[in-house]
Amino acid sequence: MIGRLLGWLRSQHNLTQVQQHKLSDWRDIPSVTRPRAINSSRCVVVDVETSGLNLWEDRLISIGAVAVVNGKIDLGDCFYSVLQQETASDRENILLHGIGVFEQTEGVPAADALLAFLHFLQKDPLIAFHVTFDKTMIVRAMRKYLGYSFNHLWSDMAYVMPALNPELASRYRSLDEWLGHFDIRNDARHNALADALVTAQLFQVGAVQAKKRNIIDFVALRDLEKAQRWVSEVG
Amino acid sequence: MNAVYASQLAFFAVHAPFDRMEMAHLLWMIARLKLGYYAQGEVIVAPEQGVVERFLVIKQGLVQGEQSVAHASDADTWLELTAGECFPLGALLAHRPVASLYRSVMDTFCYELPLADFHALLGLSAPFRDFCTRRIANLLEHSKQVIQAQYTQSSAEQQSLTSPLSSIICRAPVTCTPDTSVRDVLARMHELRVGSMIAVDEQGRPLGILTLPDVLERIALPQIDIDQAVIGIMTTQLTFLSPQALAYEAALTMAKLGFRHVLVVENERLVGLVSEKDLFALQRVGLRQIGSSIRHAKTCQEFQQSAADIRRMAHNMMAQGVTAEQLTQFISTFNDQLAARIVELEYAASGVSDSPFAGRLCWMALGSEGRFEQTLSTDQDNALIFTVPEGMTANNVREWILPVARRINETLALCGFPLCRGNVMASNPEWCLSLDEWKRKFSDWIVNGTPLALLHASIFFDFRSVQGAHDLAEGLRGWLMKVAVENARFLHQMAENALVIRPPLGLVRDFVVGKEHKLDLKLSGITPFVDAARIFSLATGITQTSTIQRLRASAASLKIHPSEIEAWVDAFMFIQVLRMRHHDEGQAQGLGDDELDNLIDPESLHELDRRILKEAFRQARKLQARLALEYHL
Repeated sequence: MIGRLLGWLRSQHNLTQVQQHKLSDWRDIPSVTRPRAINSSRCVVVDVETSGLNLWEDRLISIGAVAVVNGKIDLGDCFYSVLQQETASDRENILLHGIGVFEQTEGVPAADALLAFLHFLQKDPLIAFHVTFDKTMIVRAMRKYLGYSFNHLWSDMAYVMPALNPELASRYRSLDEWLGHFDIRNDARHNALADALVTAQLFQVGAVQAKKRNIIDFVALRDLEKAQRWVSEVG
Repeated sequence: MNAVYASQLAFFAVHAPFDRMEMAHLLWMIARLKLGYYAQGEVIVAPEQGVVERFLVIKQGLVQGEQSVAHASDADTWLELTAGECFPLGALLAHRPVASLYRSVMDTFCYELPLADFHALLGLSAPFRDFCTRRIANLLEHSKQVIQAQYTQSSAEQQSLTSPLSSIICRAPVTCTPDTSVRDVLARMHELRVGSMIAVDEQGRPLGILTLPDVLERIALPQIDIDQAVIGIMTTQLTFLSPQALAYEAALTMAKLGFRHVLVVENERLVGLVSEKDLFALQRVGLRQIGSSIRHAKTCQEFQQSAADIRRMAHNMMAQGVTAEQLTQFISTFNDQLAARIVELEYAASGVSDSPFAGRLCWMALGSEGRFEQTLSTDQDNALIFTVPEGMTANNVREWILPVARRINETLALCGFPLCRGNVMASNPEWCLSLDEWKRKFSDWIVNGTPLALLHASIFFDFRSVQGAHDLAEGLRGWLMKVAVENARFLHQMAENALVIRPPLGLVRDFVVGKEHKLDLKLSGITPFVDAARIFSLATGITQTSTIQRLRASAASLKIHPSEIEAWVDAFMFIQVLRMRHHDEGQAQGLGDDELDNLIDPESLHELDRRILKEAFRQARKLQARLALEYHL
C-alpha cells in the first residue's frame, strides 16, 4: 500500500502540469451509472501491440482503437498511437507488428499517448478480444507512466462470441478463427488499429446476435460474459 | 495518414468509381464513413423509411433489392449487389425514398456516407459525380478500355475506325471549276500527284469528281476531245458525309458502293476528301477489298474466302473497340453482299435471270440478319417473295424456284451460315410465297395469335430485302405497318409473350444462372430488347428493322425520355459485345461455327463486366416494365 502510494507520488511528480490537467479532466468526466443500450451509445474497441506475450515483462508498443457509435463503426472516430520506446523490441517482434526501430524510438512519449487514449475513450465501455492481455498491458502502462490505476468496464469478445454461438464454441478460440467464420477479412493483421477494426466488426455481429436474445445493454453483455467464463472454467 | 484509412484504401482502390477518384477526395470520404453490419435477412433500406439518408457501398456480403408489389412498374427493378457496389443512387440523387426494399442475403458490411456528405462529394469529385449520374455509360467507358487492353494485337498507334472523319482529313481537297478543260485537269493531277479532282462551284459546293481509273475508262479509251469542260465526264452522283461522321461510315459507304473516295461536306461546302488509302491505314483487312472480292466472287471457294475475311475483319474491329452497333452492321452488310452475290450467280446458272421470273423475285433476310444484328455465329433465316407471271400459279413458280433456293441455301451453309434448324429458309415451300400469299399468312398470324403465330411473327416481322425486287419487300412492310397498328389485340399478345422471358435477377445465386452455372446471353439478354423494340415499332408505325433504330424512332410517340432509350441502347449493345467476344474467343480456341454458343459463365467475366452485365439486365427489366405498362400487363 505504501509502495503504491509512493509510486503514485513519484509519478505525479513526473507528469507535467499540462499532463496532470489532462488526467484530472478525464477523471472528472462523470462515469456512466445507468446501463447503456449497445444500439444507441458509444463504445470503444481496442487492440494493442506489445514487445512480446509476457504480461508482466513485455512493454506496450502501440494502441489502436475505433469507436462504435449507435451500432456503427465510425471510421472518422478512431485512435492510433505508437508509444516511444527507450529500446526497440527485437527483430522477430518487429516482423510481427511491423513497427520498426525508428518508429518505436520516435513515437509519442508514453504519458502523452496514454492521455490521448483516455481523451479518445471518454468514459465509454471498452471492448476487446482476450481482454486480459490488452487490459493488463494498458493498466500496467497507465500505472507506470501516469501513476494512475485504470479501472474500467470491459467486454471480452473471446467470451461473448462463444456464449452467443455455443455450437461454435468448441471449435473456435482465436480471433482469426472467429473472423474466418464470419468471413471478416483483415488486410493488415497485427496492426493494432486494423485489428481493432475487425474486432469491432466481430462486435457488430455479436451485438445483433445478442439483441435477438434480448441482451441490449453493456451490463447484460457483461453478465453473459461472466456466465460464459463460469461455463468454460467448469468445462 | 490514419492507419484505418490506409487499410480501407486497399478496398477502394479496386472498385469503380473510387479507383478513379483523387486521393484527397477519397480520404475526405473515408473520414466520414461509418461501417454498418447487417445480419442475413436484415432490411438495410426500405421505402417506409422515407427519404434516403445515406449512401452505401458494400464492403463484403450480398444485398438484394426486392421490388414491392405496389411499385411493379417503377424504374427500380430487381437487383442483386455484391462487394464494391453502391446503392441506392437513384433515390439519393432524387431526394426520395427507395422504391425497392434492400435486404442483406448474407452477413453484410456496408460503408455508409451520410446524405449531406454524399452531396458534398458529388460537388468535390468529378469521377464520383460522373459515376453516380451516368452509371451505365460510365461503366461502359471503363470497360471499353479494358476490352481494348485485352486485344493485344491492336497496336496503340492504330487510329480507330471510330474516329471522326474530321480527324482523318489531312489536306485540303484539290478542286477546279466545272468548266476547266479536261487537259488542264489532267495536267494538274499529274503535277500535284493526286488521284482525284473535284469540281466545285463558286460557293465551294462539290459538283463532280474525276478519279484516275476514270481517265482510262472515260478519256483514253473513248479518245474524247480533251479540251472540253471536265464536268461533262465527271461522276456527278456524289456521296457525302459530314466531318462528324465516323471513319467506319466512310468505310461502309465505300464497301457498299465500290467507291474509293468519299467527299466530306459541311454546310454544303466541300471540306475534305477521304480516300480508301486514308482508311486503309486504320485497319488490317481492307473493307472495300472484302466488298470488291465478294462482288467478283464466282466459285464456292471464293465465297468461303470472303466469309473468312468478314470474320477476320470483325475480329480486328473488335480489337479497335468498334461498338456493337457498328460491328453487327458491318457483319450484316457484308453477309448481305455475300448472300446477294450467291443468289445472283445461282439465278444466272439456273437460267432464272432469263426466265419470266426475272425481276419478280425478292430474297429476304429475316431474324437477326433482318435486324442488321448478325454476330459471328448465326444460322440462315431467309425467305422469298415473288409476283406470279401472267398465266401461271404460285405453285408453278414454286416448282421452278424451290430447287434454285435449295442450292442457294446449301451454298450459304458452305460459307459458314448453317442451315436453319427450324427450316426458316427460302427453299421451304412455306416461306417461298407470292406477295398476296405473304399478306394472307401475316393476316392469319395477326388474327389468330396462337403461340406458333407469335413465334413466327418474331422471326418474320424483321424481314428486309437483300437481293432482287426490293419493292416487293417494301410493299409488304408498308402493308404490315397499317395492319399491325390496327390490331391492338395482337400487339397485346406479343407483349404478353415477350414478358415470358425474364432477364436474370442476379448472377451470384444458382437459380439465376441455372444448373450449369451458365447464362444465356441471347435468350435472356438480347431477346427482351429485340422483342420490345419490335412491338414498339409495330405499334408506332416504324419501318426500321434494327433494334436500336426501332427504340430510338419510337421514343417520341411513346413519350419515353431519350436518356432512358440511350440507357437501353447501351445495355443492349454491351450484351451484344459480350456475345461477340465470346464467339471470338471460341473461334480463337478452334471451335467451328456451329459449336459457338451464347452461354457464358459469369464467374469468368472481368469484375467490371459483371457489374455492367447486371446493370444491362436491370435495364432489360426496366424496358419490360415499360412494355407491361404500355399494354396493362
